[in-house]
Amino acid sequence: MVVRSGDDAGAPGALTPQNTGMGQKQNTSAPIAASASIADAELVRACRTGDMVAWRSLYDRYAPLIHRFTAALGVPAEEREDAAQDIFIAVFRSLRHFRGEAQLSTWIYRIAARHAIRLGRRRRMRETMRVVMLKERPQPEIDPSERSTRLATLDRLLAKLAPKKRTVLVLFEVEGLSAKEISDVVGCPENTVWSRLHHARAEMIRAARRMVS
Amino acid sequence: MRWLENPQSRAEKLLRDGLDLAANRTGDEITHRRVWAQVADAPLEPESRFSTRLVLASASAAVALLAVAGVIAYPYLGSHRAPTVVAAPKATAPEPKAASSEPPNAVPNQIAVEESERAPGNVVRTRKGERARVALGGGAIADMEEDSAITWDSQHRPSVEHGSARLSVPHQPPGWRFSVTAGPYVVTVVGTKFKLDVDGRSVGVEVTEGVVEVWRGSRSTRLVAGDAWHGPLHPEESTVQPAAATPSAPPSERPRTTTAGLPSVAPLAAKAAPPVSRSLQEANAAVQSGEANRAAEILARAAQGNGPAAENAAYELARVTRYNLGRPRQAVALWDKYRNRFPSGVLRTEADLSIVDTLSQLGDVRAALAEANAFIARHPNSERRGEVQRLVERLRAVEAGSDTR
Repeated sequence: MVVRSGDDAGAPGALTPQNTGMGQKQNTSAPIAASASIADAELVRACRTGDMVAWRSLYDRYAPLIHRFTAALGVPAEEREDAAQDIFIAVFRSLRHFRGEAQLSTWIYRIAARHAIRLGRRRRMRETMRVVMLKERPQPEIDPSERSTRLATLDRLLAKLAPKKRTVLVLFEVEGLSAKEISDVVGCPENTVWSRLHHARAEMIRAARRMVS
Repeated sequence: MRWLENPQSRAEKLLRDGLDLAANRTGDEITHRRVWAQVADAPLEPESRFSTRLVLASASAAVALLAVAGVIAYPYLGSHRAPTVVAAPKATAPEPKAASSEPPNAVPNQIAVEESERAPGNVVRTRKGERARVALGGGAIADMEEDSAITWDSQHRPSVEHGSARLSVPHQPPGWRFSVTAGPYVVTVVGTKFKLDVDGRSVGVEVTEGVVEVWRGSRSTRLVAGDAWHGPLHPEESTVQPAAATPSAPPSERPRTTTAGLPSVAPLAAKAAPPVSRSLQEANAAVQSGEANRAAEILARAAQGNGPAAENAAYELARVTRYNLGRPRQAVALWDKYRNRFPSGVLRTEADLSIVDTLSQLGDVRAALAEANAFIARHPNSERRGEVQRLVERLRAVEAGSDTR
């Protein structure tokens, strides 16, 4: 027999497996039409109670995004695992401060962008020191799992952009975020986002033309 | 319309192609699992004093509010709505695969539980002689045996309260997991078939297809098809001693267990292991400061435990032994030990490749060839297959050269 009780029958959908994640464009065939924000809110609530399965779900949902985003922001392959680890630990530690005003994904992008930019700054410093102190030219980093020349070319072109422009271009062109969402991630007005995007695109095209010619 | 959707030049095409590739650069499963192993047991910072005060203040305010609400609501308490009892619909069509020798009531009732009914406190229950097939959402089906009950917990996950249920979960989209709880355990799957038994004293899981993870708190064990596991329903009353999480024999050689003779694997029922994540950090620090022996000691101790960090430590111990202590033979033995202990471990592929690489570096061509061929057979779809195949060809050439000399 089915016993129905309680007054909370209209509560949002189950945490798993029906939850929908951001950046999961292929998940549109989800059987339950719970919005991403509801699912993320449920997930955050469960994570805050210390539920390790919820943590794992959050990790599974966002790990591919973190990998893709940090790669596009220039974190080399050999540093990407450590970067992902640091980002997730930062997310887990500060989730209790997440107020839910922005989307969870926006908040995670913000943490990841800050970390990737910090790593980039350190890397540039190390390379400069190496050149100055040892007169050594830094070796180009080649990820053996990314043999595609086109991807390597894109990374070289992206590396020519200033970090702020690169972040905006990656968030818009690779991650598919709107200008409003990007302004939430990087903490600047929407007009600035459009301006950075315009300049980043123009610089990328100029650099690509030089490379081809 | 996307930027450079219709590229006008080679440069623009180069950019568009690169951006499309970058959008699909999401990393491989092994990498994600390896990072999770590090993240899972990472020690979290203690709550700040400010937050503790805030929590205490909020709790006091909540208690005060509840007290006021209680006083106001007291006169109306007698009129609360009692739970309604609705009989399960009678099955209208016989189960196609039902054995003819089974009693007539073996035909399971078909119960589709609406999303709104998957709420805490709702129960699907079968009586003696009744069976039911329950659609749990997300394509998951539970075939409930007689005298069983499924309810939903506060996170709207199905929970087998007592009795027995066979669950069939279709493959979930990337990043999604199906979870079902039983007592203090959470069973999570990506797509699989398994049986869950809950009696008054224990919880049992038998996996028919796919891979299942059984969690309690932050600790978990991984079961593959053919594995069975059981743990006490009330772990604090248990005297079960810690045991290896995974049988040492390969899956195909493992005995298929029955409910009458489940092995006491029960790693989750064991006493809490020491926090091994700290050990991994200490081992890293020791390696950085050139104290490889001390790192190996720390890792060996950490590998004694259970869970993802212990598994990571077992793998790392072999790596330190090879690269920092310079003992490749011993490293191969340690990686071999790792894969015997964790035959479906998250670093299994890495261990296999490390063995192939180390043996070929040692010049043990025959053993390296055997390992490389075994790798190709075991991981026919691995992204590293091409790399290993090329190594096999080189090793064969070396072997042929040494034979002709």
